[in-house]
Amino acid sequence: MKVRVVQNVLDANDRIANTNRALFDEKNLYVMNLMSSPGAGKTTLVERTILALRERFRISVIEGDIQDTCDADRVAALGIPAVQINTGGGCHLDGNMVREALADLNLDETDLLIVENVGNLVCPAEFRIGENDKVMILSVPEGADKPAKYPLMFQEASVLLINKIDLLPYVDFDLAKARRDAQAIHPGIEIFEVSCKTGQGLEGWIAWLTRRMETRRTG
Amino acid sequence: MHELSLVLSLLEIVEEQASRAPFEKADSLLLSFGRLSCIDPQALQFAFSVQARGTRAEGAVLRFDIRPVTIYCLHCEKELSPPFFTGACPACGGVEVVLTGGTEEMKLIEMEVDGC
Ligand SMILES: Nc1nc2c(ncn2[C@@H]2O[C@H](COP(=O)(O)OP(=O)(O)OP(=O)(O)O)[C@@H](O)[C@H]2O)c(=O)[nH]1
Ligand SMILES: [Mg+2]
Ligand SMILES: [Zn+2]
Repeated sequence: MKVRVVQNVLDANDRIANTNRALFDEKNLYVMNLMSSPGAGKTTLVERTILALRERFRISVIEGDIQDTCDADRVAALGIPAVQINTGGGCHLDGNMVREALADLNLDETDLLIVENVGNLVCPAEFRIGENDKVMILSVPEGADKPAKYPLMFQEASVLLINKIDLLPYVDFDLAKARRDAQAIHPGIEIFEVSCKTGQGLEGWIAWLTRRMETRRTG
Repeated sequence: MHELSLVLSLLEIVEEQASRAPFEKADSLLLSFGRLSCIDPQALQFAFSVQARGTRAEGAVLRFDIRPVTIYCLHCEKELSPPFFTGACPACGGVEVVLTGGTEEMKLIEMEVDGC
């Protein structure tokens, strides 16, 4: 007998993500899910964002990694509450892993929760965690063909940071193509060109994030 | 390696379906997803044959409906279906295109079941 189902395979994860989101809304906190390839600059952006916003917002961080690394220590060194999730080989965070990590954070004392996902251009895009926004970093050394090759990521992200622009003089990176392809995949996506090393362009990102937080928190 | 997570969720859905309208065995599952969703049918099939052991989906055949890449070219003013997404129109070479299909996430469309 044929049974018609038509159900998203990741429905169960979406349900957990929705529960997380309801909790975040209740606690009035804004959650961003930070995604990129390994080494694109996620932790460096987290550090920069903390330094820029720590006076204005109470920040907590969840660090996802395949194995124990020092990312959570880098954040904790700034005096920010940080929880490390080790996925034990898993290539992405899912709603449930984030849910479990929340127990170790004080959400009542948090305005901004930054979740650094596992470095991977494929899997994190599909697994919602209850975030308000997905934030995507593409770094110059990776090449401008990445949006076209991994479109789902760019479709899901609200904002794209093109990082390591300090390296543009040394690397063949077609900035116009990266921008154009990202727009073809996700018309209207917000794009900032930044260097987390020199700080160039970061004020645009910080202003965008602050605006998103404020719209979110005032409803 | 999201294939493993996808397979585990898929098996949960099969069980959930069986608890609603009981059946003994799933013989085949029809899955759909976009060509650009980076799902590898072989990896999926392999993960499935391992994970389904001992469940009512053991031995089930996976069938795939892989949704094509589609783009809309603003210059040609029509939708086209190139084999890959390159950011350009395969007909006119123009770059004013919008990706309109091919990233669909995985859905279980239907199952063939036995022993209802
Ligand atoms: N030149 C340059 N290097 C950068 C920039 N941003 C980050 N880096 C360097 O890139 C390397 C990786 O940065 P991380 O912030 O650790 O990258 P990540 O994405 O967190 O890496 P994983 O967590 O391992 O996936 C480090 O050596 C950083 O110092 C940048 O804007 N310019
Ligand atoms: Mg990191
Ligand atoms: Zn055309």
